[in-house]
Formats: sequence, C-alpha cells, structure tokens
Amino acid sequence: MASLLSSNPTLASNPSYSFSQAPQNAAAGNREHAFYPYTDNGGSTLGITGNDFAILAGDTRSTSGYSINTRYSPKVFRIGGDDETGEGAHIILSVVGYAADGTALKERLNAIVKMYKYQHGKRMSVKACAQRLATILYGKRFFPYYVTAILGGLDEDGKGALYSYDPVGSYEREQCRAAGAAASLIMPFLDNQVNFKNQYSPGSGVGHDLEARQVTPLPFHEVEQLVRDAFTSATERHIEVGDGLQMLVITKDGIEEKYFPLKRD
Amino acid sequence: MPGFDFSNYNRNAALHAQGVPLPKATSTGTTIVGCMFDGGVVIAADTRATSGPIVADKNCEKLHYIAPQIWCAGAGTAADTEFTTAIISSNLELHALSTGRKPRVVTCMTMLKQHLFRYQGHIGAYLVVAGVDPTGVGLYTVHAHGSTDKLPYVTMGSGSLAAMAIFETQWKQKMTREEAIKLASDAIQAGIFNDLGSGSNVDVCVITEEKASLMRNYIRPNQREVKQKDYKFKRGTTAVLNEKVITREEISKYVTVHELSSDDDVVVVEKMDIDA
Amino acid sequence: MDSLVATYSRPAFENEGYSSDEQQELVQAMPSLSLSFSLPPMRNPSAFLRALTDDHANPQCPIKLAHGTTTLAFRFQGGIIVATDSRASAGNWIASQTVKKVIEINNCLLGTMAGGAADCQYWLAYLGIQCRLHELRHKRRISVAAASKILSNLVYSYKGMGLSMGTMCAGVTPQEGPALYYIDSEGTRLAGNLFCVGSGQTFAYGVLDAEYHYNLTEKEALELGSRSILAATHRDAFSGGFINLYHVKEDGWVKHGFRDTNPIFWKTKLEKGEFSNVTANL
Repeated sequence: MASLLSSNPTLASNPSYSFSQAPQNAAAGNREHAFYPYTDNGGSTLGITGNDFAILAGDTRSTSGYSINTRYSPKVFRIGGDDETGEGAHIILSVVGYAADGTALKERLNAIVKMYKYQHGKRMSVKACAQRLATILYGKRFFPYYVTAILGGLDEDGKGALYSYDPVGSYEREQCRAAGAAASLIMPFLDNQVNFKNQYSPGSGVGHDLEARQVTPLPFHEVEQLVRDAFTSATERHIEVGDGLQMLVITKDGIEEKYFPLKRD
Repeated sequence: MPGFDFSNYNRNAALHAQGVPLPKATSTGTTIVGCMFDGGVVIAADTRATSGPIVADKNCEKLHYIAPQIWCAGAGTAADTEFTTAIISSNLELHALSTGRKPRVVTCMTMLKQHLFRYQGHIGAYLVVAGVDPTGVGLYTVHAHGSTDKLPYVTMGSGSLAAMAIFETQWKQKMTREEAIKLASDAIQAGIFNDLGSGSNVDVCVITEEKASLMRNYIRPNQREVKQKDYKFKRGTTAVLNEKVITREEISKYVTVHELSSDDDVVVVEKMDIDA
Repeated sequence: MDSLVATYSRPAFENEGYSSDEQQELVQAMPSLSLSFSLPPMRNPSAFLRALTDDHANPQCPIKLAHGTTTLAFRFQGGIIVATDSRASAGNWIASQTVKKVIEINNCLLGTMAGGAADCQYWLAYLGIQCRLHELRHKRRISVAAASKILSNLVYSYKGMGLSMGTMCAGVTPQEGPALYYIDSEGTRLAGNLFCVGSGQTFAYGVLDAEYHYNLTEKEALELGSRSILAATHRDAFSGGFINLYHVKEDGWVKHGFRDTNPIFWKTKLEKGEFSNVTANL
C-alpha cells in the first residue's frame, strides 16, 4: 500500500543521503530502447488571469538538443475559430513539450469545439471545454500526449478563467501558471508577483501579527508587463527560451494577438 | 604531492554504483575558433557558460593566457580548461627561463597533448592553441583524448559546425588582420545565434609578431533588455520574527576589523550590472 | 510464432491513418460512454508506460505526472471527518499548492485522492456518473458499499497497467449510516473506522491514533483531523499547502474550509505550545 503512495525515493531506499538529489536506482544491465516516440522541443508558456481578461503567452522557439528547429513556431492557439484567421474563437490553448503531440492535441480540441457548436447551436463554455480537454488527455493515459497544456477564456460571469493540466489530464482552475522548460524559473516569480506569496503589508503589525499582503486581481497593463519581464528573464537564463514572445489576450471584445521579439542567442 | 587527489575516487564510485548521480560540472557549451592571417593569428570565443539547460555565466572568459604571445581558447569542462592551461602556462614559463628562449607554440601544443593523453579523456579540455614564435605563426586544436590538428582555420565546441560553415564559405588565403578579425567574429556570432550552447558576447585575441592584444567583449550583440516594471519592495515587506545586532566589539573577538574611511578604499574586483 | 506470422503476412501500412470509427471518435463533442483508451503500438504497453512515467522506479523519466499526497478520514459518533493537504508534486517539483483532493461525488458522497492526480480525478468523476445512473435506474441513492465496489472493480480491471490511486470513499445512506471505505489501485477494498493515505500517512497516523476515540465531539473531531494533516505537512516534504476539511453528516457533507497551513502552524505553536522543536529565537 505504501509503495505506490510514497513518492519520496529517499524513504524507500537505504541508506539515506543528504544530497540535493536522491539516489536514483541505476539501470541494471542493458536497457532496451526499441520505441521512443517523444522529443522535448523546449520552450515555455505562461498564463495569467485578471478580472475581465485572460492572457496566454509562449516563446516561439522550437529546439531539439542544442539546435534551433525554427525561431517562429507558435505555442498558443485560438480554439473554435476560423481555420485561417482564427476569427470567432472564444477559447485559447497553449501547449508545450513535444510539439507534434501539441499540434495533434490542439487540432483535436479545435475539431471538438467546432462540432459542439454545429451539434448544439451554441458556443461551448470554457468550463465544459476544460473538462473535455481533461478527458481527451486521459483517453491517452496509457500512451500520453507529452505536453503541458493551459486553457484560457472567460467564464459564465465574464471573469478571466485559466485551467492548467498535467500530461494525462489532471486539471485545476488557477490565477496563474507557468509551464515548460523554464517553468521552474517563472513560476516562483509569478507566485510572488501575482499571488503575493512571501509578501506582507508593511506596518500592519509586529512579528507574528504582521499581515500577509492582500491578493487583488491585477489590471491588464500590469499583467502584460509581468509576462514580458518573465520571458525576458527566462531568455537570459534558459538556453531553450528565446526568439519571440507571442501573446494572446482574451477579453469580452475578442482575442488580441501581440508579438514582441526576444533575444536570439 | 602535486597533481590530482584520488582519495574520494573509490567512495564516489561506490555511491555512483548505488545510483547517486555525479555532481554536474559547468560545461562551456561553447563556440571557439582560430584563424591565421598574413603576419599573425586570431582566436575568438563566445562568453556563455551553461550547466544543463541553464546559463551559469553570461559573460565568462574562454580565452586563456599561456605565454605573452601564445593564447588558448577552451571548450568543454570549464574547470579543466582553466587549470590545464594554467599548468601548461607555468611549465612553459619555467621551460623558457631554463632555455633562455621564447616559448614555441608547438612546444605548448605537445605539452598539452601529453598531459591530456595521460588522463585518457577524463580531463575534458578541448582547446585551440594559437601564437607567434621565432619559427612563425602557429595554430592548433587539441582534443581531450590527446589528438591534435594543425590547420589554417579551426573551430571547436558545440557551435563548431555553425562556425565552420562561415569559414568554409568565406575564408581565403593571405587575409589582412582586419579581415581575419571580422571573419573570426562572424564565425563566433554564427555559433552564438545558431547553437544553444553558445551565446552572449564575442571575445577576440589577435597575436602578431610584435604583440598579442586581447579584445574582451569585442562585439556585444546580446544586451539585456530593460525590465518593464520596477521590482523594488517596500521596506517591511518581509516578515521578521526576531532581530540580533552584532556589534563591532563582539565580532572583533573572532576577526580583524578594518575601518574604511571613504568609498575610495573599497576595491571593486569586478563590476556587476547592479553597480552601474 | 503466430505474432511473427501476423507481422509479416499483412502490409505494414494496413492499419495506418484513422478508421471511420476512429474519425468519428476524434471529433465527437461528447466523450463516448464506452471506455476506450489508446495504447502504444507495441507488445507490452504497460512496460512502455512505466519507463516513461513512473518516477518512483525511475526518477529520470521524461513525463512527470502530478502525484497527490496526505489524506485522512475517520468515523466518529457525529459522522465522518475527511481532511487532506493540497500539494501536488511531480518529482522534486511542487506542481501545485492548491489542489482540491476531496472530490465531491454527490451531496452525500466524498472521495479523496492520493497517487496519480489524473487517475483520481478521472475515475472519481466516472464514479459520480455511475452513482447518478444508479439513482436514475433504481430510484434510490447508491450505498457507499456499492459505490466503492464499482470503483474497486474498475481499477482491478486495469491492474498492472500503471494506474496509481489510493482513495477513500466516505458517505452516509439511510441503510448503512456513515460508512467509510479504502480503495487502491492494487485492488484492495477495506471498510473501516480510520484511514490515512499518502506519503505523509505515517505522520498523520501518529497524531490521529494517539488522540482518536469514537466519542469525540464534532469540534474535537474537526480539530483532530486538521491537526493530523498539519503534522504530516510539517514533516513530509511532499505534503503541504492548505488543509481541506469536510464533515459528513446524516443529511450530507459540510465543508469546513480550505485554510493555509502556515498561519495554522504558528497559531498551534504559539497558542498551544506544540511544535516546541521550532523556534524563532536566535
């Protein structure tokens, strides 16, 4: 019972070490590498919501190993709109990880959202789309899509909605989420600047009485600044991030696309 | 006893067998090149150091001094290139003093290859050696296992293919000093922009019969962007549970305390962006 | 031998592309009710999956799945207390601090998640569907025993395929009263008064076993559930975040907050003098 539930490898194997990385059972003998269908195409994505908008952003570099495949391959897509222009879309999706799986997933969700509209005569709600995406991902539980997806849109009350996923479809609605290669660089920054983690209100008390800083939804221009700063910083320190920053902003007026160049080294 | 200390070797091998991963060394990823011209030789390097996919140093120095007119560009494990060139530099100086002649590039190359061959590739230093000596201009590459090449233009490191593409299309015989610098820095820039292991700035070192001149950050095509937002926190943002003040009297029991009268006394070893 | 013959007696491209059924399936707005999972085209799919996703056996696996961690539930005279932490980790990375590990199957039934987050979310949602269908078919609510059996039979049919779940089903029905079951992906299904599940289970058991008795008052029981999770978040690196607390009563469950552990920890320490190992003195 404990074996499957304990995800702590140091507890399972002895002796215990105080290294930053726990011992990893070395592969005994030769391993067979007969079928390996995945490649990591690098890059990073990020989503933040506000009161009446949602932003999804991603860098546009696609890599394999130390090579750049292309400097412009978008990771953020409009879902449920016109094939060429994306017009009429009311949901946005970002995918990062293995690009081929990402494209397949995007196209599948796109087809489903459109079929829903044709079959029911109304747009699919973001909540329904989020649940459907989870079942799509879980449908490949035993042969996963190697992607981390983030879904954005506006909920029934017109508020910004953001759903983040793991590769097999566990999902959660959140205020902000970073995914992909530089997630570990960007996410702590977002925790601090969006959810004000580890920030207290100066002068609100002494010692234990000091109150945590109140979390309030950020205005759009501030969120856009955070997104741009997150990506310029990730570009500085992560080799797989760079070239361009593509941003999709969804509001009640529709979806706006923005592009900013990033460093290309 | 000089040389390497192997006392932890058996312990680490045993730990590794149990699955403890080896500590990750900073590898320079790197593009380095060298190119001869009429009357001298130029070597150049990028300035990115990586640790896995993370940029460890954005402006490191990969051009190493060996002798006044012999310089070396290093790729591979950062510590190995640093120390291997330092050891050879010091031995070459002793050699020059005992013979009373200027050191030669071939001598340096031979010492490097013999040193590296002895360690069977475990010292991960990949080098481009260049210089001018009484016999003329020399340019070599030395691989970690000890093999060497002598060529008019060379590239090494993860960006070597990108850089060699530039040399193979644009190199010509009997170039001027300026042409050679341009060609070498273009080759490095090809590596900076097309190889993920290389990045930031171009360092160049030109060696002629008269002198060697190091041009640190000769080209800086990757300046950091200005942030959109100001991230200064209000004083009192961090929770403080307790405070303790250590007076100068207390601390002087353990260390010597010097009074600094003005800012002029403070020695800035290396200026960081934040100092500006 | 048969598989060899099969491999070479048909053109390799025969099964390429999508069949018309599969094409239908791909664009269906509603997922089909019959369960169908795509499998990698190979002899042993579960070994393939394990090599890619099982970070317990192979920490370097490329696909890190979110794992849930400390959960507990116990029966007492006033019903059932269900409490969980809210951390999800993928390897050494904290994937989320705000996971809802108590899943509301319907207004009298709760499920908890530990193990693979996606597995728990998906199959407990599936269980919700089955429970509702049972209600419609039989005109009365499903018993907790039957609901837990649906889940345990289901995961047992996937045994060895790599599902990872340790869940508890808690609920009240007129025929059973308050009932609590433990189900895991190995196929175990146990009825009981008290369970802790997850990597922080030992720490939670330590507190819970010491203080537990059946005649706790409602207030004491809620406090004990919260305190046990707090102990687990304090000592287990893979547990943390918020304490999610539920109370299952005669007429359905009641939620008792989703509260940050940090202030609760300091309150417990300063007001009750517990956790004296932690000090803010210099």
